[in-house]
Parts: sequence; C-alpha cells; structure tokens
Amino acid sequence: MVPSFCGTCLSRLRPTPRVLPSLTSAPRAAPFHTTAVLSSVLMKKKNRDAPAKKYRERTAFRMKKKRHVERPRPPPAGERQALRKRIVLSNPNALEVKDMKDLSADTMIEARLRGSVLGLPMPMLDQLRASGAFKPHQGWAIFRRPGTVMRSETLEMGKNFHEITSEGAGKGKVFKRIISGVRASGKTVHLLQAMTMAFAKKWVVFTVPEAQDLVIGHTTYTPISGTNPTLYAQADATAALLSRVINSNRDVLSGLTVSREHPSLRSTVKPGMKLTELATVGTTDRAIAWTVFQALWTELTATSPAPSLEKHFQPRPPILVTVDGLAHWMKNTEYRTPEFQPIHAHDLAFVNHFLSLLKPGFEKPSLPNGGALVYALSTSNKPSVYALDVALKQLEARQAGVDPKSPEFPQPDPYANADIRVIDALNVPKPKDAKEGALEVQTLGGLTREETRGYMEYFARSGIMREKVSEESVSEKWTLAAGGVIGELEKLGKRVRVAA
Amino acid sequence: MAWQRPSCIVQAMQSARRSAQPLLQSSSVSPSLSPIPTYLFARQRTSTRSYATEAKPEAKKHEPPKAQQAFAAAQEIDFSVFSNRPARIVPASPAYFSGNPKFTDGLLEMERLLAKYESLPTVVPSEAPQMAWLKLPQFREFLGEHVPARKFKVLLSTLQRLNQIDPALAPQEVRTKLNSFLRPGNPYADKPVPPVVDELGRARAKGKRKTSSAVVYLVEGEGEFMVNGKSLLETFPRIHDRESATWPLRCVQRLDKYNVWATVKGGGVTGQAEAITLAVARALLIHEPALKPLLRKAGVVTVDARQVERKKPGHRKARKSPQWVKR
Repeated sequence: MVPSFCGTCLSRLRPTPRVLPSLTSAPRAAPFHTTAVLSSVLMKKKNRDAPAKKYRERTAFRMKKKRHVERPRPPPAGERQALRKRIVLSNPNALEVKDMKDLSADTMIEARLRGSVLGLPMPMLDQLRASGAFKPHQGWAIFRRPGTVMRSETLEMGKNFHEITSEGAGKGKVFKRIISGVRASGKTVHLLQAMTMAFAKKWVVFTVPEAQDLVIGHTTYTPISGTNPTLYAQADATAALLSRVINSNRDVLSGLTVSREHPSLRSTVKPGMKLTELATVGTTDRAIAWTVFQALWTELTATSPAPSLEKHFQPRPPILVTVDGLAHWMKNTEYRTPEFQPIHAHDLAFVNHFLSLLKPGFEKPSLPNGGALVYALSTSNKPSVYALDVALKQLEARQAGVDPKSPEFPQPDPYANADIRVIDALNVPKPKDAKEGALEVQTLGGLTREETRGYMEYFARSGIMREKVSEESVSEKWTLAAGGVIGELEKLGKRVRVAA
Repeated sequence: MAWQRPSCIVQAMQSARRSAQPLLQSSSVSPSLSPIPTYLFARQRTSTRSYATEAKPEAKKHEPPKAQQAFAAAQEIDFSVFSNRPARIVPASPAYFSGNPKFTDGLLEMERLLAKYESLPTVVPSEAPQMAWLKLPQFREFLGEHVPARKFKVLLSTLQRLNQIDPALAPQEVRTKLNSFLRPGNPYADKPVPPVVDELGRARAKGKRKTSSAVVYLVEGEGEFMVNGKSLLETFPRIHDRESATWPLRCVQRLDKYNVWATVKGGGVTGQAEAITLAVARALLIHEPALKPLLRKAGVVTVDARQVERKKPGHRKARKSPQWVKR
C-alpha cells in the first residue's frame, strides 16, 4: 500500500482513480518517489463543429439555407372577429333553474320579485339580439338561459314603463335618464332590461348598442345640403339602425301605416304603406337612409293623422331609445370637414337627433306618444371628456335642487377649456309639458344584500356555484364585490373554489 | 520517593478536612442572598496563615503538668477549640475545582429545589409568570465566571421548569431563588398601554408590508370597506388582493360586523393589500382581544418583516452575478 503522504515533502497526495497501469500509455511513476500515478495522457483537442471533410469537397464558406417552416394558415378574414363578437346565450351543461319566471309585463312591476332572477322570454331573444342588447363577456354563456336580476332600479323602471302604457295620469309620459355607475355595475344590462320591458309592452325600440361606432370614422358620411351649421348624414350607420328597428320591432311596425305625405320620398313612399316597408326603403337604398329615418321618426311621433289621411292612422306606441357609451358622442370625431377640420360629434345628424331628444320638445314633448330615453355611460371604454364630467355634476346638482345661479352649482374650470357644446347639450331647461320628465342622472351602485342573496342562489341553483349560500358567504361576496357590484359578484360566483 | 509514601503533607490535608467538616455543614444551611455563596473559614479569615509543622502556642496551654499527679484524668476536650487548625485555605464548595464553582453550586441548588418540589402542580408555559432571566453575558459578568452557553441553557431550563410551578402554590423559597436570577430593572413592567376603542367606537391600527404602510380605522358596521376614500374594487381590481385585505375579518366571520376605513401608501398593490391585512387584524384585536389565537392561526398577527434585498456592487441584482467572461 502506497502511503497517502509523501515522505520527503510531507504533502498529501491526491487520491487518484485506481486504474490498471498500462505499460504503453501511462508513464510509470519514478521509482524513487511515492507519488501516485497520474494519467498525463492529454486529450487531443478536437474541432467538433467542423465535420470531417470528404475528398474534393469545397472548403469555401457556405451560407445555410433557410429552412422553410410550414405555418398553419391564418383563419379566413372575419372569422376571428366573428369569434370575438359571438354571443352565446345558453349553456346546455348548466342546470335548469326550476320555476324561474319570465320578465314580462306582469312580473316587471311585482315588488316581491325584487332580488330574484327573471329569465328573458325565449321568443323575445331574437328581438333582443337584433337590437344589439347582448354584448360578449356579459356571462350569458354560463347559464342555461339568459336571465337578469330584478334590482330596485329595474323595478322602478318597470313601474314607470307600466305607467306610461296604462290608462291614467302617467299615460304618455316621457322619462329621460343617463345611467352612470362604476365598472361592471350593470349599466348595459339595465338597458337590456329596458328593451325587454319595452318589447313586452309593445313599444318601438331604437337602439344604439355602440355609440363609439358612429364617431371613429368607420362609416360613410356626407354633408347634408342646406344645413347651417353643416350636418353630416351617416348612410351606413343609419341603414344599420333601420335594419335593427325593422328586425326587432317587426310586429309593431307592420301594424302601423304611413299616415302623411313625405315630399322628399315621394317616389317610393305612399300613404298607407306599412312602416316596416318604409324602413326597408332606407336599408335597400342607403343614399336615402337618413331621409327615410326622418320620415319614420315623423310617423312614429305623430299624434294625429294629416288631414284627409285619417284612414291610415293608428295610435302610435311609445318609443324607447337606448344608447350605450354616451361619452363618445361628446367630443370631436375622427371625421373631417373638406377644410380638414375635425367634425364635432354633435354635427353628425344621427348623433344630433338623439341628443336633441334630451331637450324638452318645442310645443309638445320630444316623444309625444310617451316613452323613455335611457342613455348609458360606459366605464371600461370611456374617453375622458372634462365637459361631460362637469355637465353630469351640474345635472346631479339640478336634480338635488341646487339653484344654477348659486355658488354651490358646479361650474367648469375657466382654464380647463371645457367644451361648451357638451355642457349646453346636457343643460336641459325644465320642461313646460307636465308629461315630459326632466333629464336625470341615475347612478347604479351595488346590489343590496337581499338582492345579492337572490343572485347567488341563482348561481347555486344553476349548478355553477358549489357552495352553500348562507348569510356569511353572501356577505363575504358582497364586501369583496365592493358593496355588491354585480359584475364582480358574477366573477366571484363562477369562480371555482378548491377546498384547501 | 516522596511521591510514593504518605507524607506529612497528606496528613495535614486529612486533618484539615476533618476540622472543616462542621463548618461545611453549617455553610450549606446558612441563608444567603447571593445564589452562589462562597465561604472561607471564619477562623482563616481572621488568623494569619499557618502550617501544620509550626509550633502551636495554644497546644502548650493545655499540656498536662508534669509529675504533679501520676495518673490524672485527661482534660475535658473543648470542642469549641480545635486541636488542629487547618493547614491552608480549603474550598467551601466541593465544586471549587470544577472551573465554574459558583455556577455549579447554583445549578445544584436549583436542581435540589426542583427535586424537592417536583410533585407540585404546574401551569402551561404561557400562563407562568413572565420572567426576564439574566442574559448569558450579564450572567457571566454577574458571576465573574465564564459559563459555557450550553450549561447556561441547562440552568435556564431548570429555572423555567421551577417557574412553571403553579404560582398559587409555589413556595416562597423557590420564588426568592428564582427572583435572584432576574435582570435588574423590570423589562416587563413598562409595557405600552394597550390601545383602546376611542369614544367614537373606532379602533385605529397600523400595518406594514414590503414598503407599504396602512392605517385602518375599524368601526362596528355592516361590511363596508373603503381604501383611500375609494371602494375596495377601485383600489384593488384583482380579486386576490381584495381577499387578502378582508381576510382577517373573513377568517373569524366578522366581515359583516365591521366597517373599515383604511388609508394606505407606498409600495405596490400586493404590499398595500397585505399592509391593510395586518392593520385590520390589529384593529380587530382592539375590539376583540380574545380573537388573537384564531387570528394567529390565520397568519395575520405575525409581521412579515421581509424587505427587498439591496443590490450589491459587482452584481446585476442582489445576488445575480454578471456572466463570466473569459478575459
């Protein structure tokens, strides 16, 4: 055994792997020293990258050829958008909620249904789809059938709708609302509920599901001659509106006929024609869409027939107008004048028409047959318009009874360059007609605890929330959803909880 | 030679030990304030050093008178006076040669007490009286001996065991002994005044996490939660953060019993949420101190004091080194 110490220099020798000494390769240890045998056979450095050259192969630099990678073809044009905008209203895997009532003319005024989820009537779904009431990502796809919560604001609206339609003091009233509220507080669904109620009451419904579409320069526009300041008509957008109106109000409009002369449409429109046919004229010939819309509006807001055309007149139903994303209509658009000046949204005839409805009508109400204007703001897609913020504050102050001349009345910062047209548009004087309500701002907050409980029970009964709905769990979700903000409640309700 | 046979030195030592016997016994029972007493012989303190081979002047005094009486009874032995005076200083304690005699004596004393009172009922450690024992450096300074940390630990565990004896039944002897091991001053006396709910019913507490710090006012209510004047949703768009902020109330089912008004600043979203967690938990403890064990179990009492580790020179981040480059 070789000692591990070198006897002469007293250094510890490194242990080496024991290999059988080969006589040829490893040099033998010097006989006078006890150093362990270290293999000193050096590995010869090999150039591994360069392959061995073959005989008469070229040695010049060669560029690597690009390898062609097979990529899957992109989906056809429009398919991705269709997928993104697809609205799924049913989930066959979700449990069916037994004895779920429908939102109908009877149930919309029942106060004891507060907090329960009412289904949207199945026959009405096509109408609602046609009027653009549903939006993607509203969570319809997780339930068996679409339904909405009867919250206090819904019931109040139902009561108003009921009054307008029924015989009584409130018949033919007009109420005007701007719906605001925090993100996911149910503003758009509030519009949907308004539409459902209007359809249930056989009203005519005009909807603008996306106000932004009119101002981002995606549709055609033409100046209307003879207007000062110049207004611009949007033919395609108007045609789309007309087709929405036709598809969603076909039953009502087909029962009504043209009851007056329309000189601008003399060649195509005759008294006695159905209103659906009138509207179809606009969708087929887009050049006259705006004129047709004006004619349709005149017909629907007529209170009495034109002389000598009494036989073609039927009493006109109330009208509901809903607009979603109102803030986009309060600033300059992407359109330009021939002088390349930006066009203000209020100079678009379409926008101007619907905004002018907020002001009290001249001589008679803006909707003479009654109805409602429900315009919602959006929080997730919101341009910042300082003038609109001020105008809304002014509206709230006026609603609270603050005198506009008092110093407490909110005024725009004189240095902030607020858009005066916006402030004027919402500076609505008190209507003279008793039937016409003043413009109001309604702020949607969270659900109450009772409503939250009803909503959570709906999740549980649909088999989506696997959790006991108790006082505790409800109050927990209510607090986590910042006081029952319904969109947040939905997120909490559909979240899968893993028992830790 | 001299090593192999018993010499006069050995004899002297034996005699010294004999004479020391009664004194040793008396020293073990004598009361003392110091936990580790050391004694010298009383006589040795006063008298000068003497040797066994020296002539003893006192011995001459008791010598019998020569040739007066042929047979005389031996004189009565006066036990108060020893015939043999100790030849040299002899340690009072057998632990004298152990290296840490004072410590060893003290430890033995405590172990004796423990053996004596082992049968007394004890309480759980959390209910035992809170004692600020001497720390090791202080203890060493106090004794003047270099006590090893390991041995000190043994002593401490003995003390703690003795301290666990039910305070109602603990003998005075034990208490006085234990008190002699306390740090001077009373560290547990000047506790901060426990916070209370103010006259408006608010409990105020602070919490920190990472670089965020939160102040929370907790009042009885019905589950409203405001952070920096905004709703919980506006402050924390992520559900997870909202859950962390409300967790102390949620875990004890108090979410619908209190309203929270929090201000938080500094740091990021997660840090802010967790700073609120800590502050809410502390504020809740002001309202309901009995919830502490539950909250501790829920992990909201312990402070997470971790901070971002600083970046070092020569490193890309705190620990990451730049890539090694050959020259």
